[in-house]
Amino acid sequence: MTNRRSFLIGSAALAALGATGVRPAFAQADRLRLLWWGSQDRADRTFAVADLFEAANSGMTVDGEFLGWGDYWPRVATQTAGGNAPDVIQMDYRYLFEYARRGALAPLEGYRGEALHVDDFDQAQIEGGSVDGSLYGISLGANSSALMLNVAAFEEVGMDLPGPDTTWEEFAAAMTEFSQATPRQNYAGTADGSGVEPLFENWLRQRGKALYTADEQLGFDAADVTEWFQMWADMRAAGATVPPDVQALDQYTIETGMVSLGRAATSFAHSNQLVGYQAINPEPITLSNYPRVGADGSGGHYRKPSMFFSVASQAANPEGAVAFIDFFVNNPEAAAVLGVERGVPESAAVRDALTPTLDELGQRAVAYVAGLGDLAGALPPPPPAGAGEVDFALRRVSEEIAFGATTPEAAGPAFIDEAAGILARG
Amino acid sequence: MTTEPHRLSVVRGGENRLARRILSISIHAVLIACSILMLYPLIWMLAASVRPQTEIFQSGSIIPSAIDFSSYVRGWFGLRISFGTFFWNSFVIATLSIVGNLIACSLAAFAFARLDFAGRRFWFALMLGTLMLPYHVTLIPQYVLFLNLGWVNTILPLVVPKFLAADAFFIFLMVQFFRGIPRELDEAAMMDGCGPWRIYWKIMLPLSMPVLATAAIFTFIWTWDDFFGPLIYLNDMRSYTVQLGLRSFVDSSAQSDWGGLFAMSTLSLVPVFFFFLFFQRLLIEGIATTGMKR
Amino acid sequence: MTARADASIDIAAGRANRSVLSRFWERNGAGYMFLVPWLIGFFGLTLGPALISLYLSFTNFDLLREPVWVGTANYVRMVTADPKFAASMRVTFSFVLFSVPLKLCFALLVAVALNRGMRGLPLYRAVFYLPSLLGASVAIAVLWRQLFAADGLVNMFLANFGIVGPSWISNPNYSLWTLIVLSVWQFGSPMIIFLAGLRQIPADMYEAASLDGASRWRQFYKITLPLLTPVIFFNAVVQTIEAFKAFTPAFIISGGTGGPINSTLFYTLYLYQEAFAYFRMGYASALAWVLVVIVALFTGFAFLTSKFWVHYDD
Repeated sequence: MTNRRSFLIGSAALAALGATGVRPAFAQADRLRLLWWGSQDRADRTFAVADLFEAANSGMTVDGEFLGWGDYWPRVATQTAGGNAPDVIQMDYRYLFEYARRGALAPLEGYRGEALHVDDFDQAQIEGGSVDGSLYGISLGANSSALMLNVAAFEEVGMDLPGPDTTWEEFAAAMTEFSQATPRQNYAGTADGSGVEPLFENWLRQRGKALYTADEQLGFDAADVTEWFQMWADMRAAGATVPPDVQALDQYTIETGMVSLGRAATSFAHSNQLVGYQAINPEPITLSNYPRVGADGSGGHYRKPSMFFSVASQAANPEGAVAFIDFFVNNPEAAAVLGVERGVPESAAVRDALTPTLDELGQRAVAYVAGLGDLAGALPPPPPAGAGEVDFALRRVSEEIAFGATTPEAAGPAFIDEAAGILARG
Repeated sequence: MTTEPHRLSVVRGGENRLARRILSISIHAVLIACSILMLYPLIWMLAASVRPQTEIFQSGSIIPSAIDFSSYVRGWFGLRISFGTFFWNSFVIATLSIVGNLIACSLAAFAFARLDFAGRRFWFALMLGTLMLPYHVTLIPQYVLFLNLGWVNTILPLVVPKFLAADAFFIFLMVQFFRGIPRELDEAAMMDGCGPWRIYWKIMLPLSMPVLATAAIFTFIWTWDDFFGPLIYLNDMRSYTVQLGLRSFVDSSAQSDWGGLFAMSTLSLVPVFFFFLFFQRLLIEGIATTGMKR
Repeated sequence: MTARADASIDIAAGRANRSVLSRFWERNGAGYMFLVPWLIGFFGLTLGPALISLYLSFTNFDLLREPVWVGTANYVRMVTADPKFAASMRVTFSFVLFSVPLKLCFALLVAVALNRGMRGLPLYRAVFYLPSLLGASVAIAVLWRQLFAADGLVNMFLANFGIVGPSWISNPNYSLWTLIVLSVWQFGSPMIIFLAGLRQIPADMYEAASLDGASRWRQFYKITLPLLTPVIFFNAVVQTIEAFKAFTPAFIISGGTGGPINSTLFYTLYLYQEAFAYFRMGYASALAWVLVVIVALFTGFAFLTSKFWVHYDD
């Protein structure tokens, strides 16, 4: 067996009982295949930029295609494994490492400065697209974790919204008070965030820990986990959060968030989802940073590349693919079309030109990410293989505690064992 | 319908007539009550497609506070390629699939049900075995296979397997029904000098209208609803099917057109619903009404 | 059987003598002629990928790099060190155990009710099939959450009887039941097959029974049920296989997580997570083949017992 692909192709050809047929040239030099996940709104904007690119580069055609998040990854995996990957692939922070380390993406380091202009990008965001020292993904926008808050619900009970300086203690007390004060039926102060990984990560970072260390180990210990779950158990007992069987409806998507379902005044989400939250909520929504562990100390946030464009290592015309990405992130016309739908643009020039043209919600999202200031720190190290499974495990353990199947004391060491086992397996 | 068995008992006596009328009314009442249970999701979807988007996820009354049909227009033209194209693509794939399944599966089923040949049980067991393997693990090798045949981004990976009887469900289904057709019929035909082809064509198929109609209905509906095959094999929005178009409306991590989704979901049910209504007539024209004596 | 299979291989290789060949062809030719499309499909499209997945089940395969041979490690891990394997087995077995009999009974009941000659039958049938048309759409996911949440329609109904119901869909004690209800509610396919089966029962049999004064129940018990056994058998086998492989309901309703607390982690959902979320196609393939063996055992058992209760005409 020489390599996997020839093995697969060989066996498949055998299976086809000698069905001949030369492998068709899917990858064509003048035709770029572009694949992203997202909604129709994102699609409209992306197609418009593709048209602009075609107009500016005669002879190039861009065939764009988009899917929802859940459908996207099986398709990308199948096509890449089959040797038919799209030329330009939209990548998520977590999957970027999985794909780059498995050799599915082309390194872009060599194009920097000439074909690819990223000099006025936020340097941390460039690093966010780097894997083992080489650039594999160009960030399409920055966002950060945020609380989504139902403004009307807070005004109704005459309470202040959580602000930049709110500590976890104050947050817990305020949410308890809110749940008692609100006239709404089955309505609580906050969603139960004990299983929300970005929230847990933020809390760890404020305490000088991390989810993962640079050498791909867990960046926290059993005591951290127990304390975290205990904090939430106390809030749950005090009635600050929604009950566990309501929280379990939350799939960490916009439409299942506790604010969107009308079950709580606070949800945990990302800043670029503000527009999406507002679109399906009848009441005004705003955003704020996560609560703080202490009044001094860092806020634990970081500006996260919301998504990347990467070039497949199988691309027939990587130069063309790079040219498209460069156009996408730097061209002023393209930027005007794209807005902040994918997050706040990374290029300073683009950002400055764009900001005044945005509507109020868009400006608020930009201002939030820009205004994090001291609350934001460096990007965490890339997640190791298996991180996705650890994420699922955190959520499951949080549910086990909430439903009374285990206790925070027991869950701490058990979760560490499980997570370490997952990482060891990779 | 004159030979309908239950009608016969109606003529039995006068005192029974009132009881029967009451029974009939109460059966209708039960059926209508059940129908509402069955229709509820459709009503809900209709309501979701015309109500303000901000009402969809916050549970409450099914009756919309305001009615607005604009999501139908928005949905139809919303995806750059109109839904008309998606409907047409789905229709073509579904129609070809029906033809393929009916021909190929009935041939194989006839062999398994009626012909005696070496290895019949062995092949039958293998055929059933193909039903059991989850498709997730054969997806990638199959993709590589179709890629090498040059079939990716055409409808061939979705249609050709149907002409090669790849769906064992239908073979098994037809086998069970073919075995219910009295063997004396083929034996008599054989006496008259008919070969297996003539028996298949002149006796089996005409007497199998119910199962053929069933197979046609299922093929149409399942192909129409199929999502994973088109997702993997159709890479060009112009060749998308309705289901693929529907999935494109929604991305849970961003702002989505939920109204458009529910509007198009409702529309996508119309062809299948009418197809079902039409084809189920064929279900009725079975042996029961041909008056055939055993 | 093996002797015959060997013979066929010999013939295919053209090594057998003429008279054996022509005799074999005379006896078996027609059968194989009818099987040609299926055989092409089986060898051309199905067998290769299946064998590759069998091979991959003995490897670590992360989708993008070469598979690495690990022997039986995947299978060993499953039974010795994988709590999720056991959990997903429990979920799937409970699902099969409850959803299949309920769905079949329901489908048969409705089919018999809708078989009688009365007004509006086509419409009723179509309406009863409607839930199955909706399949596993996004709409169903949203709707099911709203029906079975704490303040959903189901609990509003129960409140009339003074019952305060839990949040069925998001409570680990009940969430699987909402999926069983969903599966039973989509009883359209077996119903249609039962209907087709009922149409195949010759009407004169009922006439004769009627003249003998047999009651409706007796007719059902003595004529309908026995003559319907091939179809009942088919539905039972196929629904069991499908239930073991059930994937989409759990996938759409739990958003792919199998939660809360793995209470809806169907076996194939776990397999899917391993393959496409955690990049462990080798392990997923091993899971798949274990499922094949389990389902094959069930199916084989069904076929063995079918001699005693399924009545064919031939």
